[in-house]
Amino acid sequence: MKTLIIIPAYNEEGSIVRVIQDINEHAPEADIVVVNDGSTDRTEALALAAGAHVLTMPFNVGIGGGMQTGYMYARNNGYDVAIQMDADGQHAAEELPKLISRASEFDLVIGSRFVEETSFRSSVMRRIGIIFFSKLVTLVTRQKFTDTTSGFRAAGKKVIALYSDYYPMDYPEVESIVYLIRKGCKITEVATEMRARETGRSSITPLKSVYYMIKVTLAVLMSATRQHKPKAGEMG
Amino acid sequence: MTIYFLSVILSFLFLVIVFELVRLQKLKEQYSLLWILFGVILFIISLNVKFIEALASWLGVKYAPAMLFLFGLLFCFAFILHLTMVVTKLSNQVLRLTQELTIRKEKESRHGQND
Repeated sequence: MKTLIIIPAYNEEGSIVRVIQDINEHAPEADIVVVNDGSTDRTEALALAAGAHVLTMPFNVGIGGGMQTGYMYARNNGYDVAIQMDADGQHAAEELPKLISRASEFDLVIGSRFVEETSFRSSVMRRIGIIFFSKLVTLVTRQKFTDTTSGFRAAGKKVIALYSDYYPMDYPEVESIVYLIRKGCKITEVATEMRARETGRSSITPLKSVYYMIKVTLAVLMSATRQHKPKAGEMG
Repeated sequence: MTIYFLSVILSFLFLVIVFELVRLQKLKEQYSLLWILFGVILFIISLNVKFIEALASWLGVKYAPAMLFLFGLLFCFAFILHLTMVVTKLSNQVLRLTQELTIRKEKESRHGQND
């Protein structure tokens, strides 16, 4: 199976090399593409030197646009499986074989976390968010989910094509699940360990988290009622 | 010169400016349609004030010019909504272009290395 690992990165020079080395160690057969989303540091040079392919966006387009570029790259190059992974090292490369092994039976395999980082405040806020969105998605899709905000996922050919067509622009994780369910995809979760982030900080501040909750809830509800039909020349 | 005469001139001028902008290709036809509609309505109202007064008394509005503000405001909302739809479409298209360009650039640089 031709496998691609997509790593969206924005100013991740502190961790990107470790992440690539870990992947090479635990999933040596997989190709790696780093989507360098307008970084102003040495992310691009370091990723290239570490042996990854690098897609450098001319300016910052945000996580959704960057991730979708990775899926388009996977589609264009005929990959069977595309795995998205964070550049900050919180997704453990040891878990990659687990995701890849389930990817032949399911359209999307989500790595669900057991272990949470222990910083009290972010952990409480985050836990509330994780439970809320999992309940919401479970309600809307009538399928049980425990970790809809996880960005550690393996996508099969069908999902690669669907995500190349449409991918939510900001805070995409939750809505992108509902979109796939509406398209009749089979999704499963597997338990994966997650580490506390090695460098950098979460992009979600308290004020942003309020916006995040409202925006994602709206997006999920809209997505649940939508027939996705991309029009010519733009995304649906 | 009364305010009625002035508003006839102003709304006529407004229509002329809109048409001129379209003619000079400073304004796309599709976006000019709403402005032309607005200009024509403005022109009709200023030609015949009785119209707006009749409408006001029919709707139970005591101060007839308030009708103008109401419709002016509604028109602005409609046009701004239309504009944000245009912005959404444009940003989707710009993103697509950026993505296609990025993928193409990477392909080119890889081929460059192989030669």
